[in-house]
Amino acid sequence: MALVPFLLLIEDDDAIRTALELSLSRQGHRVATAATGEDGLELLREQRPDLVVLDVMLPGIDGFEVCRRIRRTDQLPIILLTARSDDIDVVVGLESGADDYVVKPVQGRVLDARIRAVLRRGERESTDSATFGNVVIDRSAMTVTKDGEDLQLTPTELRLLLELSRRPGQALSRQQLLRLVWEHDYLGDSRLVDACVQRLRAKVEDVPSSPTLIRTVRGVGYRLDSPQ
Amino acid sequence: MTETAKRSLRAGLRWTSLRLRLVVVFALVALVAAVSASGIAYWLNREAVLTRTQDTALDDFRRQMQETAAALPTRPTKDDLQRAAGKMASSSPGYSVLLVAERERGKPIVGYSDLDTFTRAHVPDSLQEQVARKQPLTSSNEHEYHLFWQRTSIAGTPYLVAGTRIIGGGPTGYMLKSLDQERQDLNSLAWSLGIATALALVGSALLAQAAATTVLRPVQRLGDAARKLGEGKLDTRLVVSGTDELADLSRTFNRTASSLEKKVADMSAREEASRRFVADMSHELRTPLTAITAVAEVLEDEADTLDPMIAPAVHLVVSETRRLNDLVENLMEVTRFDAGTARLVLDDVDVADQVTACIDARAWLDAVHLDAERGMMARLDPRRLDVILANLIGNALKHGGSPVGVRVRTEGEELVIEVRDHGPGIPEDVLPHVFDRFYKASASRPRSEGSGLGLSIAMENAHIHGGDITAANSPDGGAVFTLRLPRDAERIVRNDEPGAGAPDEDGAT
Repeated sequence: MALVPFLLLIEDDDAIRTALELSLSRQGHRVATAATGEDGLELLREQRPDLVVLDVMLPGIDGFEVCRRIRRTDQLPIILLTARSDDIDVVVGLESGADDYVVKPVQGRVLDARIRAVLRRGERESTDSATFGNVVIDRSAMTVTKDGEDLQLTPTELRLLLELSRRPGQALSRQQLLRLVWEHDYLGDSRLVDACVQRLRAKVEDVPSSPTLIRTVRGVGYRLDSPQ
Repeated sequence: MTETAKRSLRAGLRWTSLRLRLVVVFALVALVAAVSASGIAYWLNREAVLTRTQDTALDDFRRQMQETAAALPTRPTKDDLQRAAGKMASSSPGYSVLLVAERERGKPIVGYSDLDTFTRAHVPDSLQEQVARKQPLTSSNEHEYHLFWQRTSIAGTPYLVAGTRIIGGGPTGYMLKSLDQERQDLNSLAWSLGIATALALVGSALLAQAAATTVLRPVQRLGDAARKLGEGKLDTRLVVSGTDELADLSRTFNRTASSLEKKVADMSAREEASRRFVADMSHELRTPLTAITAVAEVLEDEADTLDPMIAPAVHLVVSETRRLNDLVENLMEVTRFDAGTARLVLDDVDVADQVTACIDARAWLDAVHLDAERGMMARLDPRRLDVILANLIGNALKHGGSPVGVRVRTEGEELVIEVRDHGPGIPEDVLPHVFDRFYKASASRPRSEGSGLGLSIAMENAHIHGGDITAANSPDGGAVFTLRLPRDAERIVRNDEPGAGAPDEDGAT
């Protein structure tokens, strides 16, 4: 990862794009911008940014579709720019693979903090590895293998799995996970956790609809079990 | 008894009474008609039957008297009389005869046709007098004696008694004719008429019932339709058939319903339009605000290095931008509630932690005294709880000043949070309006006191959880806002929209 984070900002409104580019650049990021989803996807292929900041409302293909197309090939972090009024946006956005979202009108500092938090998730913290059934988490290489095959996890999914694997058998509440993984304050959106768990299960579990590794603990949150 | 059951019972009584009234009126009319018709028929029949029997008997008696009694010798013996009486009685229509003559002055002799049934005692005295009286001869009256008759009753049986005297010193004859047969005939006639009347009554009652049904069924349909209309089903219409008054009423009902429907549709369309306008406007405002907010921060970072004349301007722009942000955010929140698109994002939280975090995040720790035990878990929307608390505590700090007391407790399945200030309290006339939008306690209060939406939004947030907020003045001074929320808002969400609010139902534990 480059020392100066390289961001791709996809936003159709000129004023917002310019203002956010200005703000993010001042926070020390290198920013490439695109006005449409199509341009953004092309820029993504050419320039390989570290992270995408993506507006939901785009002419042509919308933000969700852009998100889905990126996820087909890449696991880089995606932050959605959304309006909270459209609660459905958040759910659809998280389902299409976004790692986090910020609500407009967004403060530059908040967006910067979220970007840095997402980027930190890919950082290596320890050098051991752990095995849960047929899933092996290699904390030094930051890779997860299932039956010897590499799993393509986004940094957020990887971090969630790492945090759960650090306390096997112990239930973590959504709010705890939001603080540990997303570095959100006490008002984190628990749907982030739920959506990320769903995606993680789809990749890790044998049968995602009846999980044996990442279990739901009713009234509390989630727990990583080693299958018996 | 439930309210609906009461209402249906009352409706039942009302229907019954209208039905009853119709039946009673029909029955009365039928009764009067049948009774008067039967009465007249009976009376005419009775007269006809009696007159005919009587005339026959009397004619026969008169003839017998002329033929038999007049043929008696001037001074008949008792045997003569007896024979004559017997002869007269046996001649035809079946009556008994009594012949009285005077063999010598003062010594009457009597001949009986049948001593058992007819003696002189059976003849009323008034009739005897009448018969015996000698009528003065005038131009209109050619005879001294006439035939007189009377109806009488002996031992419960009706009889016709008649008597006359032969002119020129002949014997006096009486006859007794039983009218029992006639009475029996007339009785059976009366029975028949009575039965006919009863049948007419029953028939009229059935007819009334049928009439009531034909009238009441449309009325009931009308009633049902009106009730549905009242329940808000404005597309309720009646099927109009026929041209009678009820059809007219149905047409009127339909016209009223459609004009009502149109008016309501117009009104809600207008309201919808104005709501959409507010929603669209706040959306539209947000785009420039996003750009301005991002740039304002850049300016703020540089403010210290700017010209001292310009720095205050930059700070003003930044702080006003934040206020505008808050206002737009509040407006959007309100439009979400109005449009019914606000959703709960439920999570299990420790209430004390949430309250502490809310106070801490706004740097109110020194101004708020918190009384809450950790470990009180509740399933609610943490963001919305935060909005409620921030508004209530912020309001208390603004109007009451510190310290503000926040007390958290549980009552059964309810979570109760009290926010108490030590200010002057809320004037009684303001109390009912504290949760109104844009309502401010004092018109002269400067506009910088907030958007005027805070408490209204807090209330909406409580309602969406199935909870409530009440405002009151404490007896020891200061205002108390009490928030009540169910400890598990899941049920509310389930009821509102099945399938939502439970993102992962994998059944694992």
